[in-house]
Amino acid sequence: MATLSERPAKVFGATLTRRQFVKAGGALVVGFGLVGADVWNHPARAAVSGNSLDPTLPGSWIEIHPDNTILIRTGKSDFGQSTTFTAYRQIVAEELSASFEAITTVVSGDTDRTPDGSGAFDFLGRGTPNIRKAAAYVYQALLDLASRRLGVPKSELSVKDGLISGGGKKVSYGDLVKGQQLSLTIPVKGSLTSIMGLTVDGNPPMKPVSQYSVIGKSFRNSVTTSKVSARETWATDVRLPGMLHARMVHPKTLGSTLISVGPVDKAQFPNAQVIVKGSLVGVVAPTEWEAIRAAEQVASGTKWTDWKGLPGNANLFQHLRADADWKSTPVMKSDKTTDEVEPAFAKAAKKLSASYEFPFMKHAPIGPTMAVADVHPDGMVHIYTHNQNPQALRGEIAHMLGTTIDNVVVHIYPGAGHYGRSNGGNAGAEDEAVILSQAAGHPVRVQWMRPEDFQWSTQSAAAFSDVEIGLDANGRIIAYQIDHYMPAMQDDRPVGAIIAGLPTMAAPDVNPPPGSIISTVNGLSDPWIYDGVANLVEQGHGTFQIGQKASPLAIGIRDHSMRTPGQFQQNYPRELAISEAAALAGADAIQFRIDHAKEDRVIGVLKAVREASAWDTRPSPHSNASSTGSTPVRGRGVSVMLRSGTYWACVCQIAVTPSTGVIAVEKYAIAVDPGIVINPMQLKRQVEGGAVMGISQALLEEATFDESGITSRDWLTYPILKMNQIPEIKVVLLHRPEVGAYGGGSEAANALAAPAIAAALFDATGKNARRLPLKPAYVQELLRG
Amino acid sequence: MISIIVNGSRREIQAPEDTPLLYVLRNDLHLTGPQFGCGMMQCGACSVLLEGKEIRSCLTPVSAAANKEVTTLEGLPGRWAKQQGLSTADAAKTLHPVQQAWIAEQTPLCGFCQNGMMIKATELLERVEKPTIAQIKDAFTTSGPSAHLCRCGSYTAIIEAVQHAATLMAKGGK
Repeated sequence: MATLSERPAKVFGATLTRRQFVKAGGALVVGFGLVGADVWNHPARAAVSGNSLDPTLPGSWIEIHPDNTILIRTGKSDFGQSTTFTAYRQIVAEELSASFEAITTVVSGDTDRTPDGSGAFDFLGRGTPNIRKAAAYVYQALLDLASRRLGVPKSELSVKDGLISGGGKKVSYGDLVKGQQLSLTIPVKGSLTSIMGLTVDGNPPMKPVSQYSVIGKSFRNSVTTSKVSARETWATDVRLPGMLHARMVHPKTLGSTLISVGPVDKAQFPNAQVIVKGSLVGVVAPTEWEAIRAAEQVASGTKWTDWKGLPGNANLFQHLRADADWKSTPVMKSDKTTDEVEPAFAKAAKKLSASYEFPFMKHAPIGPTMAVADVHPDGMVHIYTHNQNPQALRGEIAHMLGTTIDNVVVHIYPGAGHYGRSNGGNAGAEDEAVILSQAAGHPVRVQWMRPEDFQWSTQSAAAFSDVEIGLDANGRIIAYQIDHYMPAMQDDRPVGAIIAGLPTMAAPDVNPPPGSIISTVNGLSDPWIYDGVANLVEQGHGTFQIGQKASPLAIGIRDHSMRTPGQFQQNYPRELAISEAAALAGADAIQFRIDHAKEDRVIGVLKAVREASAWDTRPSPHSNASSTGSTPVRGRGVSVMLRSGTYWACVCQIAVTPSTGVIAVEKYAIAVDPGIVINPMQLKRQVEGGAVMGISQALLEEATFDESGITSRDWLTYPILKMNQIPEIKVVLLHRPEVGAYGGGSEAANALAAPAIAAALFDATGKNARRLPLKPAYVQELLRG
Repeated sequence: MISIIVNGSRREIQAPEDTPLLYVLRNDLHLTGPQFGCGMMQCGACSVLLEGKEIRSCLTPVSAAANKEVTTLEGLPGRWAKQQGLSTADAAKTLHPVQQAWIAEQTPLCGFCQNGMMIKATELLERVEKPTIAQIKDAFTTSGPSAHLCRCGSYTAIIEAVQHAATLMAKGGK
């Protein structure tokens, strides 16, 4: 091999050099190789140690092959959003002026094959995903190379479908890289195994939106085809030579420790082996059925200490108000909070004071968590699973084992979506599989059963909010104060490691370690959009997870981000209170919102959903509202939200039967303005899905618990929406190229339904429902009252 | 030893008779279309066709399938090919219209439940040529041991895909 270096050139903050690459044996598959002494001093260097790919090299992100095909890599793993397989391909194709089809391979998630880490969230929300910037750098480098190759100034080159033209000459991307090692170094920052991972830095020029031809089209998701045809390898399908199946025997309560392990009848289960580490008990066997049955037998004979340290869900909000410590954690204020709100309240002609309650909910993946782990005798650990943040998981497993991340590789496969549960690194089974594999000396597959997935996983945090709204004589809001209260909402400690007594990160506390987001602080996460309100106070109060400090296992009710985390808990009380304030003002709920908003995009989504829902402008409640009788009464409500650069508004039309308390959502309209719509069909499907999940959460979902643990255990005790309960759904996508950025679209739709349905219930009955879920028994009691 | 006919082939099963069919299909026969969702017949992720009727393989012992015909997601193309009398060559490159429609409508989100959804759709469309939306909702909600559950909320897309598949089937899959 011989190399011939040329003078390095600066490309918008990146460094490009060119080396002639001579090797016998024909064309090489070459990306962009190594260079750049200056990047060795970059802060990212330390953070990336142990990653086989160097994120400062574009070849880690994008490979252009001599046959003109392109490969992209992203640390994000797909959770059903399709973004890595559709939008990311479109974005890269667009920035490179290549065709969508030219991107033939997407490598995502695997820690040894992807450069940047971070979670399966916020794919687009910051407008410029890593992969877009990486592509923009590569494009500039390719132009630079083409300019030299063709002897034509860069400014006179044009590119279409990966073919560069200028001065009457042409060269393809494939020809430019053929037989060469092309070197470009790009700036990155951040920490690989943190929740946000690495970020590509700098400001390479981006393609003007007006020239887009790939973005905006409804390309299909290639993974859908393989899943539907039964050709996909799911995490559940991974089988390794010598692999044992495992079932866990989890403690009796969220605070129980192990007294003694039950026996296993060797005559009945000759191949089963019980593994104990601290209070963690698992049973492994060569066949799954033997593991299941032997684990049941072991469980029936295992003795645990008892523990009763939880308030029980009937006393949840009383406990949170009266017993929880809200004083130790600093009170957060929103950016838009103003100074003086009391004088304005004093002048109010009318005042609304209300409190809203939001229960614990479950991520409730349709398949319980599972993982395969293979701990080699030399200490190398391989994990095969479905996970939203594989690099963070890698860090947690290394921490648990007292090793470095170089010794841990996480391989990512498709699985059941779990909506945020593993965005900080673990979903439940991964660490347990590692512990059992290490003890058994074999690869081990841990599969949680359905009740375990409800009872040993994290939950979406419960919350309550107190709201005061002052109206002037004209029915305008002159003062608004909201105080949000929520226990720590993100606990990323692997549960098996806690039970086993192995090292984990700290539980959420007042003062998190540097760089950690794991704390009791309750930040303001629902951006205020009613800029016409002059006097505003938004405060967030945080506390410890319920039972965690008292539990001898240090577990208690562990919380974790779930789809639209924290913001759902804050937007629900805000939007419901705004609807109540509109009613108090005698105003139409949509017009009232428009009258208090200033931003075009807020007003735009409200007007769009008003039209889509054929909304009749009038105050609530409806003139036919009734809270009695066995005839359904109808009503409608609205909600609006800004999240991750996307504006949302939704209208729900419901029918409620007062005598039974049963609510049917009949029509659901939602308007979405993400700025640039990258893939209309995929976005529509994501929004429809979020809409259905949101209706499910509003009407049905509450994780119940007693003094010892979670009592939700299956789909009967934690029901979710069924097909015959869905409304007619209308999705309006507002494409706004002038915004110039991509807002997040796969997440937030679930938060819109709850405040809109509760407002619709008021419209139909004249009664204010201020807690979730809106189950028949609660609604019936409310309407009787 | 139990013998079952899976996707047109007779298979001898070594597993104990009380083993749920799901584990036999996934672990012994490497047919991984059906998924473990709840193990309680409450969700439908594990569905297969037994003699053309949708059942939950997670709690059905393999002995209940002895000498009967089981169709999994992997077997849907062959089932369709046989019904249409397609040649082996044509059958090899054909997907069942239900699968074609699921792709055309981009129905799955995470996709974990969709095995059961496509099995249920196949059962329905073999019985009712052109189901109404109400019939589709009924089939997926009340006709089996439990409703077929989708946590990602793809129900609208499923309804559209069933209607699409009905159209394809009426045209012989073209």
